[in-house]
Amino acid sequence: MTDSTTVAPGPATTAGPGDRRSRMPSRTARRHRSGRIGRVHPLIALLWLAPALALILGVVLYPAIKLFDASRGEYSITGLRKGDAGWDNYAKVLDHPDLGTVLRNTVVWVVAVVAITIVLSLALAQFLVKSFPGRRFVRWAVIIPWAASLVITSQLFVLLYDYNYGIINHVLMSLHVIGTPIDFLGDDSWTMFSMVVVGVFVSLPFTIFVFIAGLGAIPDDVMEAATVDGASPWQRYWNITLPLMRPALMIATVLNVIYVFNSFPIIYTLNDRNPGYLHDTTITFMYKLAFKSQEKDVGMSAAAGIFNVLLILVVVGIYLKIINWREETSR
Amino acid sequence: MRSTKKSVVVAGLAIAGLALGACGGGTGAGTAPGGTAGSTGEEVKTIKLVAAEYSKDHTKAFWDAFAKTYKEKTGYTLEVQVVSWDNIDQQSSTMIQNNQAPDILNLNAYASYAKDGLLYDSDAVLPAVVKDDILDTFVKYGTYQGKFYGFPDLSSARAFFYNKALFKQAGINEPPKTWAELEDDAKKITALGGGKVGYALPLGPEEAQGEFSMWLFNNGGDWKTDGNWAINSDKNVETLDFLKKLADEKVTQNNPARTNRADAFDLFKSGTAGMVVGFSPLAADLDKDKKVDYGVAPFPSNDGSESKTFGVTDYLMAFKKPGNEKAVKAFYELYYTPDQVNTFIKAEGFLPVTKSGVKVFSENEKALEVYLNTLPNAKLTPTDDPTWDKVKLAVQQNLGGAMNGSPKATLDKLQQTAENGG
Repeated sequence: MTDSTTVAPGPATTAGPGDRRSRMPSRTARRHRSGRIGRVHPLIALLWLAPALALILGVVLYPAIKLFDASRGEYSITGLRKGDAGWDNYAKVLDHPDLGTVLRNTVVWVVAVVAITIVLSLALAQFLVKSFPGRRFVRWAVIIPWAASLVITSQLFVLLYDYNYGIINHVLMSLHVIGTPIDFLGDDSWTMFSMVVVGVFVSLPFTIFVFIAGLGAIPDDVMEAATVDGASPWQRYWNITLPLMRPALMIATVLNVIYVFNSFPIIYTLNDRNPGYLHDTTITFMYKLAFKSQEKDVGMSAAAGIFNVLLILVVVGIYLKIINWREETSR
Repeated sequence: MRSTKKSVVVAGLAIAGLALGACGGGTGAGTAPGGTAGSTGEEVKTIKLVAAEYSKDHTKAFWDAFAKTYKEKTGYTLEVQVVSWDNIDQQSSTMIQNNQAPDILNLNAYASYAKDGLLYDSDAVLPAVVKDDILDTFVKYGTYQGKFYGFPDLSSARAFFYNKALFKQAGINEPPKTWAELEDDAKKITALGGGKVGYALPLGPEEAQGEFSMWLFNNGGDWKTDGNWAINSDKNVETLDFLKKLADEKVTQNNPARTNRADAFDLFKSGTAGMVVGFSPLAADLDKDKKVDYGVAPFPSNDGSESKTFGVTDYLMAFKKPGNEKAVKAFYELYYTPDQVNTFIKAEGFLPVTKSGVKVFSENEKALEVYLNTLPNAKLTPTDDPTWDKVKLAVQQNLGGAMNGSPKATLDKLQQTAENGG
């Protein structure tokens, strides 16, 4: 994905689709060449890698060890460690009566948000690579949901969705679409839907820009050849654009799955009025176990955290297997 | 060979990284000198306070000024960390997990900490005159197994708020005295239309136990009677049945089970709701907005007998750490001087915790009269029982379920939770 670095709105907007084609290959070619010339001594490489390694060890590995340690401890409600719990915490998490609900919510949440995001982003990216007046403005506007903090965005949606004062209900009622307001966040049949909308909203910018980069990397001559051969626009899209977009699709899907799975603020903020675990995913479940629920048990929460890590590793592993990681990365 | 060299470098960097991480984490907790003095037991010169943020404007300002005075008067240094209510449970739990408990922690619970043997009792750190001055109710609820651990920092008492304009429109002359009257009034207000809400009933997770306490105390019920859990007593089931009836009759706001207290207050502040259980900070907000013409009255009881109020106090608890006893004692000595404690409480808009404070407030704060009169007889939730710390969470998460299910079953389940020790 070396191309993704060139997606900054500046160059993309100043250059039409035509001359971007002439530009990009030359850049990547230069990079490849310099890679071949210089071979670095492993120690020097290590020196360059050192800050990253230190960060990984200090920020990822150390907390992971602490997390595992905590998951094996017995904790008082105050946070005081009273002794070792062995695997009890794991058993308690697996035994939890709401675990099924939480897992089902997690699957619905991740699949719905990622799938809708990908489909919408493909369409929007297709639109945003066309040149039209005001495209720069539109592209900037698309970034905004990404730039805003998730908590702020979520809080904003809480206001939009509000039963008594929310603008969405107000508009729907004024248009006579509905007779009484909809309780978007308190009505069980609406809550997940309302959260998915926000999840898609904040995932769109990143995905769109990955796809814009992917579309930019498709050589125009292939398209021209297909057009000359009489392929319809739909055939061109289905047989050329989409297959060539595979790397971009894969990156977008994997990263989105991880982001969306780990997304805490949206669910926590939009769901904070609802008691129990009816709309929680494994991430908010973990948090509530530690601090909000009647269990209020750090050890149990840590065990749930370990399950979360394993779960996401498995999901990503399966996905990479399906998409045939090796083949794609060797491109 | 190269690989061993590599791993040495990596290990070295890892250690450096960990050291950096340790310094960065815990917002200053790592530098609290309490820990360093621990091994030798020598006297600590600096103590740390983790305080809850009651208001953006006043809390930090007060504690900063307090720390200055504390330093001048006693020579000890007070490190102040103000934490929002949303975060404080998480922060305090993390601190204790990492063996970095503050010297003084401001929280809405203490019994679990006392049970874990983490706290000083009043004999060690609270001057006797101060203990005598603290209102008896608060001493009672601050006492765990015969020792006083939960030193109150401030208190509040709930009262019944009603919108005078809506009452007038609905042709109601005075605030209700019984639940039947309340139900009637709520119907009349709801009948005004325009989305008006008779009674704003917050049974959402934020503070379901507070709303329910107010109701059950005024039906002669309680959480515990004679030392035994009584959550599913007949009185309490009757109370929750009544709340469900209000919800079913649609004289409350939409979906009371999923309405948090803050949302209910918003309904009242916007003039939509006719009645709500409020406390002095709500009154302060209403006075500032000047939008709603409201009255404050004692909460109606089921049968019209004398109203009881639900009181709440938060705690300043002292953690046992080697060498900090004197500094902590000096802290309480200063905090409970009328100048300090009353200034803090007044700025935050709450109620006093000391007998001397009640006297001062009664003379100078006429607006608080309704609350002050009820305060010495206020009933609290059983904060002196460590089990309550978990039962409270169970109530917050489950009580609302009764609105769509069976009140009796809900309370039976909570009773079971309590009897099983949370």
